[in-house]
Parts: sequence; C-alpha cells; structure tokens
Amino acid sequence: MKILVCIKQILDPDMPARDFKVNAETKEAERGGANLVTNIFCENALETALQIKEKTSGKVTALSYGTDDTEDSLRKALAMTVDEAALILREGDSNPDAEAVAKVLAAAITKLGEFDLILMGRESGDWGVGQTGGLLAEELGLPSLAFVDSIEANDGTLTMRRQTDSGTETATVTGPALALITNNEFNVPRIPKTRDVMMSYRKPLEKFSLADIGLSAEDVSGSSFYEVTDLSIPTKDVQCEFVEGDSIDEKIGVLASKIQPVVAANS
Amino acid sequence: MDRQLYEPVHGAFREAVRQFLGKEVVPHHEQWLERGNIDKRMFRKAGEQGLLCVSAAEQFGGTGVADFRYNCVLNEEIQAAGVTSSGLCMTLHNDICFPYFQRLANDEQRERWMPGLVDGSLMSAIAMTEPSIGSDLASMSSSAKDDGDAYIVNGSKTFITNGINADLVIVAVKTDPTQRHKGMSLLVIEEGMEGFERGRNLDKIGLKSQDTAELFFSNVRVPKSNLLGQEGEGFLNLVKHLPQERLSIAVTAVAHCRWAFEETLRYVKERDAFGQPIGKFQNSQFVLATLKTEIEIGQVFIDRQIEALNEGSLTAEDAAMGKWWVTELQQRVMDRCLQLHGGYGYMTEYPISRAWADSRIQTIYGGTTEVMKMIIGKSLGL
Ligand SMILES: Cc1cc2nc3c(=O)[nH]c(=O)nc-3n(C[C@H](O)[C@H](O)[C@H](O)COP(=O)(O)OP(=O)(O)OC[C@H]3O[C@@H](n4cnc5c(N)ncnc54)[C@H](O)[C@@H]3O)c2cc1C
Repeated sequence: MKILVCIKQILDPDMPARDFKVNAETKEAERGGANLVTNIFCENALETALQIKEKTSGKVTALSYGTDDTEDSLRKALAMTVDEAALILREGDSNPDAEAVAKVLAAAITKLGEFDLILMGRESGDWGVGQTGGLLAEELGLPSLAFVDSIEANDGTLTMRRQTDSGTETATVTGPALALITNNEFNVPRIPKTRDVMMSYRKPLEKFSLADIGLSAEDVSGSSFYEVTDLSIPTKDVQCEFVEGDSIDEKIGVLASKIQPVVAANS
Repeated sequence: MDRQLYEPVHGAFREAVRQFLGKEVVPHHEQWLERGNIDKRMFRKAGEQGLLCVSAAEQFGGTGVADFRYNCVLNEEIQAAGVTSSGLCMTLHNDICFPYFQRLANDEQRERWMPGLVDGSLMSAIAMTEPSIGSDLASMSSSAKDDGDAYIVNGSKTFITNGINADLVIVAVKTDPTQRHKGMSLLVIEEGMEGFERGRNLDKIGLKSQDTAELFFSNVRVPKSNLLGQEGEGFLNLVKHLPQERLSIAVTAVAHCRWAFEETLRYVKERDAFGQPIGKFQNSQFVLATLKTEIEIGQVFIDRQIEALNEGSLTAEDAAMGKWWVTELQQRVMDRCLQLHGGYGYMTEYPISRAWADSRIQTIYGGTTEVMKMIIGKSLGL
C-alpha cells in the first residue's frame, strides 16, 4: 500500500508560557528562542501510517509545505522510518490559510504519484483551524473521514474507526481515501532509533518550488477566506474567595449557590 | 556562543535522546534517588533505543559510526534533563568501558559480548581502584595466578561505578606481582562466577541513584578466554584509554555547569528580596557574568578536545588539562549557584543542592586534579 502523510511544522507548544509572545503588527506568534517541532497529530498520523506499512508492506511518503527549517521535521519522519520525503518551499504568505495549503498539497500529491491512503493530523497545534484535510480531500476528489484514531488495512479495504462525542464509528472504504488522524494510546509516535536517525540523512528528500508543482505565489495567496483581525495572549484572572458559614451545611449551601449560576451559564 | 561542533544529524539524535530521557528516566529519577539505584530495565530500553555503544559494528547491532559526538550528545542531555546520577550508568558503559571491548576484544570475545553490550542486556563496569590504592594504580595488589587455561583471582576493588548492576566487570589485576606497571593485565569477570561477590551499595553524599560498590574476589576461576588484550599490557591499555574517560567526565562537567547556570538564572529572576528580583543586584550579575564567561571558555576548550579525540590526536596531557580545569570550574559554578539560591539551595527538594553534591566527585574520580597536574607537569619535562 502506498501511503502519503502530510505533516506540518509548528512552534513547540511545550515552550514555557512565559516565553510565548505574539507580534501584534504581523498578527503571528514570535519564534524567539523556541524550537520548531512536528505537530503532534501529524506525528500520530505518521505512526499510524508506519504501523499499516509494517503489517502490510508498501511505502510511506511524508510531505510538507514549509520553509527550509521544515527539513528537520521531514528528517525526523524519515528517522521514524518513513521511506521518502518531499518539501514544497513556501512562497508568499508566511501563514497561508487552509485553502491555500490544500491547493499546494493537492498539486504536490498529483506530482508525486498515486497513493492508496492519505493521512493528516486532525488539526495543527498552532492555529487549530482543522480545515486543511477536508479541503484537500475536496481538491483531490477523495472520500475523507475526520477524527480517525485507528485504521486496519485488509486486501485493499480500509477499516477506519473514528471518535465521536458519543463513542466511536467504524467505516470501511476501498482506497484511495483521506483520513484525519487523532491520537489514541496505540498511535503514540515512536522515538527514532539511533541508526534510523543516521539513516534519515541518507534517504531521499526532494525539495520543490511552487513552480515545480505547477503553481505560482499568486495562486496561493490573496484569496484568504478569513482575516485575522487581532491576536493577543489572554490574560488570566484568578480570584480566590473563602466561603463563610457557621456550620458545614451552611458552607455547602453558600458554595452551591455560588456554583449554580456558573453551571447554568455553561450548560 | 554558537557551538560549531555538531551537525544537523546530531541535532536530530539529540531530540531522540531528549524524548527517551523524558519518557524513561525523568519520571523515575526521584524514586531511584530514594532507593539508591536505577531500575535496570531502563538500561535495557536504552539499548533497544540504540543509545548504547553507538560505534559498535553493525553486525553486533551498532551503527559502525565511530563519532564520539554521539556519546557527548547523550551525556549532555542527561545533564540537561537534571538526571546526572541516573544517567551515569550509560555514559560509564559507553564512554569508559566499551572502548576496551571495542579495541581489545578478540573475535571470539566480540561474538560473545558485543551484542549484549549494545542491546543493554550486559552492563559493564571497570575496576581499578582498591581499598588501599587509588591514584597510585601501579601499586595495586589484586592477583591473578596462572592455572593452566584459567587465572585464579584474589583481591578486592572499591568505589566501582555500576558495581551492583554490572554483568561484566573489567578488572585490573596483577598477573606478575613482582612487576609494577608491566605486571598488570585486564580480565573480564562475569556476574555469577564462583567466588565473585559484591559488597554493599556504598552510601555517598551525591550520585544517589548511581550504584557504587566494593567487589570481592576469592579464588575466582576466570578462563583465559576472558583476558582482554595481552597479558602484562593492562597498565598500558588503561593509560591509552584514560584520555577518553577524562574527556567524558569533562563533557559531563561543562553540560552540568550549563544546566546549573540556567536553573539559577531562572531562580534569580523569580525570587525577590528588598523589593526586587535578586538577579537585579549587581553582585548577582557579576557572579553570573563571571560564571557564564568561564562556562563558555570551558565549552570551547572541551569542544576542541572532542574534535581531537575524533581525529585521534587527543593527548594524555591535553585530556588532563581539560579534565582538571572544567571539573574545578564545575565546583565553583555549583557553589556559586547554590549560594544564589540562598537557604533553598541547601534543601534537597531544590535540584541545585543535588547537583552540588553530585558534582563533588568530579575532581576526584578518573584521576584527581592533583594527578592531572602531575601528568601535565611530567609532559613539561619536569
Ligand atoms: C563515586 C565514585 C566512583 C568511582 N568509580 C570508580 C570506578 O568505576 N572504577 C575505579 O576503578 N575507581 C573508581 N573510583 C575511584 C577513584 O578513581 C579514586 O577514588 C581516585 O582515583 C582517587 O584515589 P583514592 O580515593 O585512593 O585517593 P588517594 O590516591 O588516596 O588520594 C588522596 C589525595 O591525595 C592526593 N594525592 C595522591 N597522590 C598524590 C601525589 N603523588 N601528589 C599529590 N597529591 C596526591 C590525591 O589527589 C587526593 O587528593 C570511584 C570513586 C568514587 C568516589
């Protein structure tokens, strides 16, 4: 089976909160001294793909739309034992919207060949828009399923389990198809082994410009369907109040009367 | 300053090491400190992860890539994660013991031991020091008498790192007690050999989760097939390997200094006195500025030594200079950083207190500062 996994590199969400800064002018987060890492759900998608490959055989390709720095994320995917990787170098908008990214990925996938299964993370840990996967499926004309936490591949049939608010749903599909992967206890990304880390620098990693995949910077910018009007870090306001009362029952009563409106407002 | 030592592949390896330590060591470190030993399963996992004996030949599970920078990345990350004591078993195994197997083992010994050393099923230790001798190694007295196809070993060793957990111990013995240097040989003594006993896990002021023990040998029959290198060349081989051992200790020292510095910098920004963060006092700034400068100097020096080791040109006196200077720096850094923590720095719940105690051994083992200066003095023709 040929599987392609789209991955996104983002600012490390585990950076200390005190180091996180946003630029009000550009309306983007500032890199500062923070690391760039692969979005966690994308790593869950990589792990899912690798497990399918290990059970069935085939090939896994990792694809990203990013900058030269994104090579690190693709090398890491190769170190996790992905077979090959491709990087489309970003031009124009430094924070392209989901539609633009979907367009680029679709053109890149068409260039890279045919795939039985395309996996992505359910959303990215920076903006959390969660639209790119659906839009990419639309671009490629493929069926797609979101919130998938496990996939079984049998004789060309893919059985996907997706998480829902009330439990899980199972769907079967004959590829090609696209799935947006969420985390579960079985797709925790593997830590690359030393030998694989070394090998990852000897595996093929192709870099393409937009022109190489038949697009131009204009094709992917200026068409944004939403606009970021303001970006700021929420200020936390913590208040502490001691409940007074002569008896425990009285205190419970006071506490309940304070909680009730909050519960009512949130339900 | 930007370090020029590493390539992108080492950065990728560093991330994998960080993830491994975060998953398999950091969450257990406190518990291991309490019980005075690690859980040996962690070592096995490190082997499966490919963190042990990286340069071993591929046929034995290694990568065949002889590049000491991989060892250094693991060492540095152990310090950066604040788990000096729980990580030492790996650096000792990789940097100090493994080279003896790599360079001295014959084909049969390689087949027998290499796979286990690489996959973590065999932990190693090296035993030179005896209760009555340390610095003056040539005066050691553990004996190995020729008995046909075996040696009969008698004697004892002390302060042996990995002493409780090790499966293979490289033991320095006298095969010819009439000689000093030329009478020494190296034998690999294995867990389970009759007459080989371990003493208690010694109670130390620091490195609390690192097992350090006395070893006793009473008529242990060690087959000659466990002789590492040639008979009578033990001292020569120890001397050949000591520069790498000392460099490993120096790498620990600088990385530990960096960790302590960052911890302290954070602390002085957060802790207030007289209405301002203590980092705002000129004294704090001068202390930290001095330490920062010295740590950078140490880093540049040691980075160059790592390159020299990879090039095969690190001399005994260079390694001695590196070892004494940065481990003495480590004492100053820990002491000053603890001082800036005030009373909290003396409490074991503050990591700086443990680091201070952990670091104290560094100017002693692997050859004391005084012995390092003797080596340098000798090289000056004095
Ligand atoms: C935690 C720990 C782990 C260790 N791990 C190991 C291990 O794995 N394997 C191993 O073999 N050993 C190990 N050692 C032993 C260590 O290497 C020795 O303690 C060290 O070499 C010093 O020897 P010593 O303790 O006998 O001190 P001594 O040799 O008795 O020295 C005492 C003092 O005298 C000074 N001195 C000695 N000779 C001279 C001289 N000629 N001129 C000036 N000053 C001198 C020394 O510098 C020192 O200050 C470990 C020790 C500790 C505490």
